[in-house]
Amino acid sequence: MNWEYVIPNVEVGDRPRATELPMNNEAFAGFYERSARPLWAYLARVSSDPALADDLMQESYVRFLCASRADDGEVASRRYLFRIATNLLRDHWRRPASASIEDLPEELFATSDRSDHIAQIRLGRALARMRPRDRQLLWLAHAENYSHREIAEITGLGTASIRLLLFRARRKIARFLQEQASVAREKQ
Amino acid sequence: MTFTPCVREKEVAELLHSGHWPAASSPELRAHVNACRNCADFLLVTQTLQHARGTSVRSARLNSPGLLWWRAQLRRRNDALEQVAKPIAGAHVFALIVTLLVAGAFVVEQSRRGVQWISWLTELSRSRAFHLDPLWSSASTKIDWNAMFLMPGLATLMVLSGLLIYLATDRS
Repeated sequence: MNWEYVIPNVEVGDRPRATELPMNNEAFAGFYERSARPLWAYLARVSSDPALADDLMQESYVRFLCASRADDGEVASRRYLFRIATNLLRDHWRRPASASIEDLPEELFATSDRSDHIAQIRLGRALARMRPRDRQLLWLAHAENYSHREIAEITGLGTASIRLLLFRARRKIARFLQEQASVAREKQ
Repeated sequence: MTFTPCVREKEVAELLHSGHWPAASSPELRAHVNACRNCADFLLVTQTLQHARGTSVRSARLNSPGLLWWRAQLRRRNDALEQVAKPIAGAHVFALIVTLLVAGAFVVEQSRRGVQWISWLTELSRSRAFHLDPLWSSASTKIDWNAMFLMPGLATLMVLSGLLIYLATDRS
């Protein structure tokens, strides 16, 4: 028996069918166009692995579409998407045999401008010295401009903890960035 | 490390996020940022990460949204199929357990009675309807009738059970 013919008959009524996605193709294409690049930037910078960012971004969108949730607007949907991506990153780091981010080439984020390229390398090195959770918090707060409450929603941490963790992470990465800048000045 | 946030951090943050730093900032605020470690760190980190965001956003490699939408639809359908298949699989397991219990009870009961029904078969062969005496070898009485009938029966039952499980679990 082919169950594809059975399921539509089982699920009758006003409730949307389990096989239906909450967003139609056109609406999703628009949402994807607006949210994919920032999401990829977040995943790529926090993981320091653009290939991994590609995979996790795809998975994030598939999970986002499969999730049964009410349509509560673009901002909330975007936040939810970042939450899925954050959880996927966390799952990835929990798995053994992941590549060390120190070994990954910075050229992956290379730009044509030399000074920009150097700045990207410095940031990459500084981020590599940070803990994964700190990288997430820093990116969400400073690159995505999320509030502490929103970061708490995305990461699952408490708002009060985020304030302190972010303060420490910011101080730490600032020190790393300054160290690298002073080393570069000494070399010149 | 002591956690002492600066009261002017919010002011700096607003100017940075609106993109008006340092143009719209007062000389007094700029002097404060130079002197305050928290605000200086905030400025350095925010500017660096926002610049990195701009670079990364430009270099993002995007897939077709249609492909992702199709993948999501496929996964959702598979999840729905699994939900439907769960009680069916449960029913299969239940049927298998019942079959095995009945078979077990049958075997135990027959072994206790000494397979009495075989004697009926023997009598049948001696009846007028069947003149098969010559066909029955003299050695027939020496054969372990229990084993002779039970083993093929059990083997058939096991083969059928295996086939049932295979058919129940085969999704292709």
